[in-house]
Amino acid sequence: MTDPRTPAQEEADKLMAAEYVLGVLGAEDRRAAQQRMTHDQAFASEVAFWEERLGVFADAVAPVAPPDRAWSRLARAIRLPDPSKPRESLWQSLTFWRSFAIGAAVIAAASLGALTFIEIAPAPRAALLATLGAANGQPAFVAAVNADSTSLTVVPAALLTQDPRAMELWLIPAGDKPHSLGLIVPGRAVRIELPRELTGRITPDTALAVSMEPPGGSPSGQPSGPVIASGKLMRL
Amino acid sequence: MGVEDNRSQLVAALARVAGGERAALQIVYRDTSAKLFGVCLRILNDRSEAEDVLQEVYLTVWRKASSFDPARASPVTWLVAIARNRSIDRLRATAGGRRMEAIEAAEEVRDPALVASELVEAAQESTRLNLCLEQLEPRQSTAIRSAFLDGNTYEELAERMKVPLGTMKSWIRRGLLKLRDCLER
Repeated sequence: MTDPRTPAQEEADKLMAAEYVLGVLGAEDRRAAQQRMTHDQAFASEVAFWEERLGVFADAVAPVAPPDRAWSRLARAIRLPDPSKPRESLWQSLTFWRSFAIGAAVIAAASLGALTFIEIAPAPRAALLATLGAANGQPAFVAAVNADSTSLTVVPAALLTQDPRAMELWLIPAGDKPHSLGLIVPGRAVRIELPRELTGRITPDTALAVSMEPPGGSPSGQPSGPVIASGKLMRL
Repeated sequence: MGVEDNRSQLVAALARVAGGERAALQIVYRDTSAKLFGVCLRILNDRSEAEDVLQEVYLTVWRKASSFDPARASPVTWLVAIARNRSIDRLRATAGGRRMEAIEAAEEVRDPALVASELVEAAQESTRLNLCLEQLEPRQSTAIRSAFLDGNTYEELAERMKVPLGTMKSWIRRGLLKLRDCLER
Protein backbone atom coordinates (compact mmCIF):
# COMPACT_ATOMS: atom_id res chain seq x y z
CA MET A 1 0.00 0.00 0.00
CA THR A 2 2.76 2.43 -0.87
CA ASP A 3 1.33 3.45 -4.26
CA PRO A 4 1.25 7.20 -4.70
CA ARG A 5 -2.26 8.56 -4.37
CA THR A 6 -3.77 11.56 -6.04
CA PRO A 7 -4.80 14.44 -3.76
CA ALA A 8 -8.45 13.61 -4.49
CA GLN A 9 -7.94 9.98 -3.42
CA GLU A 10 -6.11 11.14 -0.31
CA GLU A 11 -8.99 13.39 0.60
CA ALA A 12 -11.52 10.60 0.01
CA ASP A 13 -9.43 8.30 2.24
CA LYS A 14 -9.22 10.87 4.99
CA LEU A 15 -12.95 11.39 4.80
CA MET A 16 -13.62 7.67 5.03
CA ALA A 17 -11.44 7.40 8.15
CA ALA A 18 -13.37 10.29 9.71
CA GLU A 19 -16.72 8.77 8.77
CA TYR A 20 -15.65 5.44 10.25
CA VAL A 21 -14.68 7.00 13.57
CA LEU A 22 -17.77 9.19 13.63
CA GLY A 23 -19.85 6.04 13.22
CA VAL A 24 -22.02 7.04 10.27
CA LEU A 25 -21.02 4.16 7.98
CA GLY A 26 -23.21 1.11 7.38
CA ALA A 27 -22.13 -2.45 8.25
CA GLU A 28 -20.44 -3.16 4.92
CA ASP A 29 -18.43 0.08 4.78
CA ARG A 30 -17.41 -0.39 8.41
CA ARG A 31 -16.03 -3.84 7.64
CA ALA A 32 -14.14 -2.43 4.66
CA ALA A 33 -12.63 0.30 6.85
CA GLN A 34 -11.66 -2.18 9.58
CA GLN A 35 -10.07 -4.45 7.00
CA ARG A 36 -8.15 -1.56 5.54
CA MET A 37 -6.75 -0.50 8.90
CA THR A 38 -4.92 -3.81 9.14
CA HIS A 39 -2.74 -3.19 6.10
CA ASP A 40 -2.87 0.54 5.27
CA GLN A 41 -0.72 2.43 7.77
CA ALA A 42 -1.72 5.89 6.51
CA PHE A 43 -5.38 5.02 6.86
CA ALA A 44 -4.85 3.56 10.34
CA SER A 45 -3.03 6.77 11.41
CA GLU A 46 -5.91 8.83 10.12
CA VAL A 47 -8.35 6.72 12.16
CA ALA A 48 -6.13 7.21 15.23
CA PHE A 49 -6.10 10.97 14.60
CA TRP A 50 -9.91 11.13 14.68
CA GLU A 51 -10.27 8.75 17.61
CA GLU A 52 -8.00 10.93 19.70
CA ARG A 53 -9.64 14.22 18.64
CA LEU A 54 -13.31 13.20 18.65
CA GLY A 55 -12.91 10.93 21.67
CA VAL A 56 -13.49 13.89 23.96
CA PHE A 57 -17.15 13.93 22.90
CA ALA A 58 -17.49 10.96 25.24
CA ASP A 59 -16.87 13.31 28.19
CA ALA A 60 -20.53 14.24 27.79
CA VAL A 61 -21.70 10.66 28.39
CA ALA A 62 -22.73 10.12 32.00
CA PRO A 63 -21.15 7.03 33.61
CA VAL A 64 -23.59 4.21 34.39
CA ALA A 65 -22.44 1.49 36.79
CA PRO A 66 -22.85 -1.92 35.15
CA PRO A 67 -24.51 -4.65 37.27
CA ASP A 68 -22.18 -6.76 39.46
CA ARG A 69 -22.89 -9.85 37.37
CA ALA A 70 -21.06 -8.19 34.46
CA TRP A 71 -17.77 -8.38 36.37
CA SER A 72 -18.42 -11.96 37.59
CA ARG A 73 -19.02 -13.05 34.02
CA LEU A 74 -15.85 -11.38 32.81
CA ALA A 75 -13.80 -12.84 35.68
CA ARG A 76 -15.02 -16.31 34.70
CA ALA A 77 -14.20 -15.66 31.05
CA ILE A 78 -10.58 -14.76 31.81
CA ARG A 79 -10.40 -17.43 34.55
CA LEU A 80 -9.63 -15.14 37.44
CA PRO A 81 -9.15 -17.26 40.56
CA ASP A 82 -12.50 -18.13 42.16
CA PRO A 83 -12.73 -16.10 45.40
CA SER A 84 -14.38 -19.06 47.17
CA LYS A 85 -11.21 -21.16 46.77
CA PRO A 86 -8.34 -18.70 47.12
CA ARG A 87 -5.71 -21.11 48.44
CA GLU A 88 -6.04 -23.70 45.77
CA SER A 89 -6.17 -21.15 42.97
CA LEU A 90 -3.20 -19.24 44.30
CA TRP A 91 -1.21 -22.44 44.64
CA GLN A 92 -2.08 -23.44 41.09
CA SER A 93 -1.09 -20.10 39.75
CA LEU A 94 2.17 -20.08 41.74
CA THR A 95 3.06 -23.51 40.43
CA PHE A 96 2.36 -22.36 36.92
CA TRP A 97 4.36 -19.18 37.25
CA ARG A 98 7.24 -20.94 38.97
CA SER A 99 7.64 -23.48 36.20
CA PHE A 100 7.30 -20.76 33.60
CA ALA A 101 9.94 -18.64 35.33
CA ILE A 102 12.37 -21.54 35.65
CA GLY A 103 11.91 -22.33 31.98
CA ALA A 104 12.55 -18.72 31.06
CA ALA A 105 15.62 -18.61 33.32
CA VAL A 106 17.05 -21.58 31.46
CA ILE A 107 16.48 -19.83 28.15
CA ALA A 108 18.08 -16.70 29.57
CA ALA A 109 21.10 -18.64 30.84
CA ALA A 110 21.49 -20.26 27.42
CA SER A 111 21.38 -16.88 25.70
CA LEU A 112 23.95 -15.55 28.16
CA GLY A 113 26.46 -18.02 26.79
CA ALA A 114 26.13 -16.44 23.38
CA LEU A 115 26.86 -12.93 24.58
CA THR A 116 30.28 -11.60 23.78
CA PHE A 117 30.54 -9.53 26.90
CA ILE A 118 28.77 -10.09 30.16
CA GLU A 119 29.06 -7.10 32.40
CA ILE A 120 27.79 -8.68 35.56
CA ALA A 121 26.64 -12.24 36.10
CA PRO A 122 23.20 -12.63 37.67
CA ALA A 123 23.06 -13.29 41.38
CA PRO A 124 23.34 -17.03 42.00
CA ARG A 125 20.36 -17.14 44.38
CA ALA A 126 17.43 -14.90 43.58
CA ALA A 127 14.94 -13.92 46.24
CA LEU A 128 12.46 -12.76 43.62
CA LEU A 129 12.33 -13.33 39.91
CA ALA A 130 10.21 -11.95 37.08
CA THR A 131 9.80 -13.07 33.51
CA LEU A 132 8.92 -10.14 31.30
CA GLY A 133 6.80 -11.49 28.49
CA ALA A 134 6.43 -9.74 25.15
CA ALA A 135 3.11 -9.31 23.34
CA ASN A 136 3.61 -12.62 21.52
CA GLY A 137 3.80 -14.42 24.88
CA GLN A 138 7.51 -15.19 24.54
CA PRO A 139 9.76 -14.20 27.44
CA ALA A 140 11.78 -11.11 26.46
CA PHE A 141 13.68 -10.44 29.71
CA VAL A 142 14.25 -12.17 32.99
CA ALA A 143 14.80 -9.97 36.05
CA ALA A 144 16.20 -11.24 39.34
CA VAL A 145 16.21 -9.27 42.59
CA ASN A 146 19.15 -10.03 44.87
CA ALA A 147 18.54 -11.50 48.33
CA ASP A 148 18.52 -8.20 50.23
CA SER A 149 16.42 -6.36 47.59
CA THR A 150 19.09 -3.75 46.92
CA SER A 151 19.70 -4.53 43.28
CA LEU A 152 18.11 -6.11 40.25
CA THR A 153 19.77 -7.97 37.39
CA VAL A 154 18.04 -7.89 34.03
CA VAL A 155 18.95 -10.49 31.43
CA PRO A 156 17.59 -10.43 27.87
CA ALA A 157 15.90 -13.74 27.14
CA ALA A 158 15.23 -13.15 23.46
CA LEU A 159 16.84 -11.30 20.63
CA LEU A 160 14.97 -8.06 20.13
CA THR A 161 14.62 -6.06 16.95
CA GLN A 162 17.10 -3.28 16.40
CA ASP A 163 15.17 -0.21 17.43
CA PRO A 164 16.92 3.15 17.73
CA ARG A 165 14.79 4.07 20.72
CA ALA A 166 15.96 3.49 24.28
CA MET A 167 14.47 0.81 26.52
CA GLU A 168 13.46 1.97 29.96
CA LEU A 169 12.74 -0.35 32.86
CA TRP A 170 9.85 0.44 35.21
CA LEU A 171 8.97 -0.88 38.61
CA ILE A 172 5.22 -0.82 39.30
CA PRO A 173 4.24 -1.63 42.90
CA ALA A 174 0.62 -2.85 43.18
CA GLY A 175 -1.77 0.10 43.05
CA ASP A 176 1.02 2.59 42.41
CA LYS A 177 2.34 4.36 39.35
CA PRO A 178 5.48 3.28 37.51
CA HIS A 179 8.88 4.22 38.94
CA SER A 180 11.75 4.40 36.48
CA LEU A 181 14.71 2.11 37.16
CA GLY A 182 16.68 3.59 34.29
CA LEU A 183 17.62 2.45 30.83
CA ILE A 184 18.56 -1.11 29.97
CA VAL A 185 20.68 -2.38 27.14
CA PRO A 186 19.27 -5.03 24.82
CA GLY A 187 21.65 -7.92 24.31
CA ARG A 188 23.42 -7.92 27.63
CA ALA A 189 22.82 -8.42 31.30
CA VAL A 190 22.77 -5.31 33.45
CA ARG A 191 22.63 -4.82 37.19
CA ILE A 192 20.57 -1.94 38.50
CA GLU A 193 20.93 -0.62 42.02
CA LEU A 194 17.45 -0.09 43.42
CA PRO A 195 16.72 3.36 44.84
CA ARG A 196 16.53 3.13 48.63
CA GLU A 197 12.93 4.38 48.77
CA LEU A 198 11.85 1.48 46.58
CA THR A 199 13.63 -1.39 48.33
CA GLY A 200 10.68 -1.84 50.71
CA ARG A 201 8.28 -2.02 47.76
CA ILE A 202 9.79 -5.09 46.15
CA THR A 203 7.12 -7.72 46.83
CA PRO A 204 5.59 -10.54 44.80
CA ASP A 205 2.80 -8.14 43.78
CA THR A 206 5.19 -5.77 42.06
CA ALA A 207 5.31 -5.67 38.28
CA LEU A 208 8.20 -4.79 35.99
CA ALA A 209 7.76 -3.39 32.51
CA VAL A 210 10.01 -2.25 29.68
CA SER A 211 8.91 0.61 27.43
CA MET A 212 10.42 2.15 24.31
CA GLU A 213 11.48 5.72 24.94
CA PRO A 214 13.37 8.55 23.25
CA PRO A 215 17.18 8.50 23.72
CA GLY A 216 17.95 9.29 27.34
CA GLY A 217 14.64 7.96 28.59
CA SER A 218 11.09 9.21 29.05
CA PRO A 219 11.06 13.00 29.39
CA SER A 220 7.99 12.93 31.65
CA GLY A 221 9.20 10.41 34.22
CA GLN A 222 6.32 8.13 33.24
CA PRO A 223 6.25 5.60 30.39
CA SER A 224 5.59 7.51 27.16
CA GLY A 225 6.22 4.84 24.51
CA PRO A 226 4.80 1.35 23.92
CA VAL A 227 5.34 -1.28 26.60
CA ILE A 228 7.24 -4.10 24.90
CA ALA A 229 7.43 -6.52 27.82
CA SER A 230 6.06 -6.82 31.32
CA GLY A 231 5.71 -9.34 34.10
CA LYS A 232 5.26 -9.79 37.82
CA LEU A 233 7.83 -10.62 40.47
CA MET A 234 7.43 -13.98 42.16
CA ARG A 235 9.24 -15.92 44.81
CA LEU A 236 11.19 -18.93 43.66
CA MET B 1 -6.47 12.64 42.67
CA GLY B 2 -5.23 14.63 39.70
CA VAL B 3 -5.98 13.95 36.08
CA GLU B 4 -2.35 13.01 35.34
CA ASP B 5 -2.28 10.52 38.23
CA ASN B 6 -5.45 8.88 36.92
CA ARG B 7 -3.91 8.63 33.52
CA SER B 8 -0.60 7.17 34.61
CA GLN B 9 -2.31 4.67 36.92
CA LEU B 10 -4.46 3.52 34.04
CA VAL B 11 -1.40 3.32 31.74
CA ALA B 12 0.39 1.26 34.42
CA ALA B 13 -2.60 -1.05 34.85
CA LEU B 14 -2.85 -1.57 31.07
CA ALA B 15 0.87 -2.40 30.96
CA ARG B 16 0.23 -5.08 33.57
CA VAL B 17 -2.78 -6.39 31.65
CA ALA B 18 -0.49 -6.62 28.61
CA GLY B 19 1.79 -8.78 30.74
CA GLY B 20 -1.08 -11.18 31.32
CA GLU B 21 -1.91 -10.04 34.85
CA ARG B 22 -5.56 -10.77 35.51
CA ALA B 23 -5.76 -8.67 38.66
CA ALA B 24 -4.71 -5.60 36.66
CA LEU B 25 -7.73 -6.06 34.37
CA GLN B 26 -9.85 -5.80 37.49
CA ILE B 27 -8.25 -2.39 38.21
CA VAL B 28 -8.95 -1.21 34.66
CA TYR B 29 -12.52 -2.49 34.95
CA ARG B 30 -13.06 -0.85 38.34
CA ASP B 31 -11.87 2.53 37.05
CA THR B 32 -13.49 2.60 33.62
CA SER B 33 -16.47 0.23 33.40
CA ALA B 34 -19.09 2.84 34.40
CA LYS B 35 -17.84 5.22 31.73
CA LEU B 36 -17.70 2.52 29.05
CA PHE B 37 -21.07 1.07 30.06
CA GLY B 38 -22.51 4.58 29.68
CA VAL B 39 -20.98 4.82 26.19
CA CYS B 40 -22.35 1.40 25.15
CA LEU B 41 -25.76 2.12 26.62
CA ARG B 42 -26.01 5.48 24.86
CA ILE B 43 -25.37 3.81 21.49
CA LEU B 44 -27.29 0.57 21.98
CA ASN B 45 -30.16 1.98 24.06
CA ASP B 46 -30.69 -1.50 25.55
CA ARG B 47 -29.22 -2.64 28.88
CA SER B 48 -28.86 -6.31 28.07
CA GLU B 49 -27.19 -5.65 24.70
CA ALA B 50 -24.93 -3.09 26.38
CA GLU B 51 -23.96 -5.64 29.05
CA ASP B 52 -23.05 -8.17 26.36
CA VAL B 53 -20.97 -5.66 24.48
CA LEU B 54 -19.24 -4.49 27.68
CA GLN B 55 -18.07 -8.07 28.15
CA GLU B 56 -16.67 -8.10 24.59
CA VAL B 57 -14.99 -4.75 25.22
CA TYR B 58 -13.01 -5.97 28.26
CA LEU B 59 -12.16 -9.26 26.59
CA THR B 60 -10.74 -7.16 23.74
CA VAL B 61 -8.79 -5.09 26.29
CA TRP B 62 -7.52 -8.32 27.86
CA ARG B 63 -6.27 -9.62 24.52
CA LYS B 64 -5.13 -6.37 22.91
CA ALA B 65 -3.67 -4.38 25.82
CA SER B 66 -0.20 -4.80 24.34
CA SER B 67 -1.27 -2.82 21.27
CA PHE B 68 -2.08 0.21 23.41
CA ASP B 69 0.63 2.83 22.87
CA PRO B 70 0.55 5.60 25.50
CA ALA B 71 2.64 7.81 23.20
CA ARG B 72 -0.12 7.82 20.59
CA ALA B 73 -3.37 7.71 22.53
CA SER B 74 -4.69 8.44 25.97
CA PRO B 75 -5.87 5.31 27.78
CA VAL B 76 -9.46 6.53 28.13
CA THR B 77 -9.66 7.48 24.46
CA TRP B 78 -8.35 4.05 23.52
CA LEU B 79 -10.93 2.32 25.73
CA VAL B 80 -13.78 4.54 24.55
CA ALA B 81 -12.87 3.77 20.91
CA ILE B 82 -13.09 0.02 21.63
CA ALA B 83 -16.45 0.46 23.40
CA ARG B 84 -17.88 2.60 20.59
CA ASN B 85 -16.64 0.34 17.81
CA ARG B 86 -18.00 -2.79 19.47
CA SER B 87 -21.33 -1.09 20.16
CA ILE B 88 -21.70 0.28 16.64
CA ASP B 89 -20.78 -3.08 15.10
CA ARG B 90 -23.46 -4.70 17.28
CA LEU B 91 -25.97 -2.01 16.37
CA ARG B 92 -25.36 -2.53 12.65
CA ALA B 93 -25.75 -6.29 13.06
CA THR B 94 -29.15 -5.99 14.78
CA ALA B 95 -32.23 -4.08 13.79
CA GLY B 96 -33.70 -2.91 17.11
CA GLY B 97 -32.74 -0.59 19.93
CA ARG B 98 -31.81 2.30 17.72
CA ARG B 99 -31.97 5.79 19.15
CA MET B 100 -34.31 7.64 16.80
CA GLU B 101 -35.77 10.60 18.70
CA ALA B 102 -35.80 13.83 16.71
CA ILE B 103 -32.78 16.04 17.26
CA GLU B 104 -33.38 19.75 17.76
CA ALA B 105 -30.25 21.74 17.20
CA ALA B 106 -31.15 24.18 19.99
CA GLU B 107 -31.42 21.37 22.56
CA GLU B 108 -27.75 20.51 22.46
CA VAL B 109 -26.36 22.23 25.51
CA ARG B 110 -23.23 20.92 27.19
CA ASP B 111 -23.73 20.10 30.82
CA PRO B 112 -20.75 21.47 32.79
CA ALA B 113 -21.23 18.85 35.53
CA LEU B 114 -20.75 16.04 33.07
CA VAL B 115 -17.77 17.69 31.44
CA ALA B 116 -16.07 17.71 34.84
CA SER B 117 -16.44 13.93 35.14
CA GLU B 118 -13.52 12.22 36.85
CA LEU B 119 -12.41 10.58 33.64
CA VAL B 120 -12.07 13.82 31.73
CA GLU B 121 -8.37 13.94 31.18
CA ALA B 122 -7.75 15.74 27.94
CA ALA B 123 -9.02 19.16 28.91
CA GLN B 124 -6.88 20.77 26.24
CA GLU B 125 -8.11 18.39 23.56
CA SER B 126 -11.69 19.04 24.60
CA THR B 127 -11.24 22.81 24.42
CA ARG B 128 -9.70 22.54 20.98
CA LEU B 129 -12.50 20.35 19.64
CA ASN B 130 -15.10 22.75 20.99
CA LEU B 131 -13.34 25.78 19.52
CA CYS B 132 -13.19 24.05 16.14
CA LEU B 133 -16.84 22.98 16.35
CA GLU B 134 -17.82 26.58 16.96
CA GLN B 135 -16.51 27.43 13.51
CA LEU B 136 -19.07 25.11 11.92
CA GLU B 137 -22.72 25.89 11.39
CA PRO B 138 -24.69 24.86 14.51
CA ARG B 139 -26.64 22.18 12.62
CA GLN B 140 -23.35 20.73 11.32
CA SER B 141 -21.81 20.47 14.77
CA THR B 142 -25.08 19.10 16.18
CA ALA B 143 -25.17 16.38 13.52
CA ILE B 144 -21.50 15.47 14.13
CA ARG B 145 -21.91 15.31 17.90
CA SER B 146 -25.11 13.22 17.66
CA ALA B 147 -23.48 10.85 15.17
CA PHE B 148 -20.55 10.25 17.51
CA LEU B 149 -22.59 9.77 20.67
CA ASP B 150 -25.52 7.77 19.26
CA GLY B 151 -23.80 5.81 16.50
CA ASN B 152 -26.39 6.74 13.88
CA THR B 153 -25.93 6.20 10.14
CA TYR B 154 -26.34 9.05 7.64
CA GLU B 155 -29.85 7.77 6.90
CA GLU B 156 -30.88 7.78 10.55
CA LEU B 157 -29.43 11.22 11.15
CA ALA B 158 -31.27 12.58 8.11
CA GLU B 159 -34.51 11.19 9.52
CA ARG B 160 -33.84 12.49 13.02
CA MET B 161 -32.99 16.00 11.83
CA LYS B 162 -35.71 15.92 9.16
CA VAL B 163 -33.49 16.77 6.19
CA PRO B 164 -32.85 14.89 2.92
CA LEU B 165 -30.09 12.26 3.00
CA GLY B 166 -27.92 14.19 0.52
CA THR B 167 -28.12 17.29 2.69
CA MET B 168 -27.06 15.35 5.78
CA LYS B 169 -24.12 13.76 3.97
CA SER B 170 -22.92 17.09 2.71
CA TRP B 171 -23.30 18.78 6.15
CA ILE B 172 -21.25 16.11 7.83
CA ARG B 173 -18.62 15.64 5.14
CA ARG B 174 -17.98 19.36 4.75
CA GLY B 175 -18.06 19.69 8.53
CA LEU B 176 -15.47 16.91 8.97
CA LEU B 177 -13.09 18.38 6.39
CA LYS B 178 -13.30 21.79 8.01
CA LEU B 179 -12.87 20.24 11.43
CA ARG B 180 -9.78 18.39 10.30
CA ASP B 181 -8.12 21.58 9.04
CA CYS B 182 -8.88 23.30 12.32
CA LEU B 183 -7.79 20.39 14.55
CA GLU B 184 -4.53 19.96 12.66
CA ARG B 185 -3.44 23.53 13.30
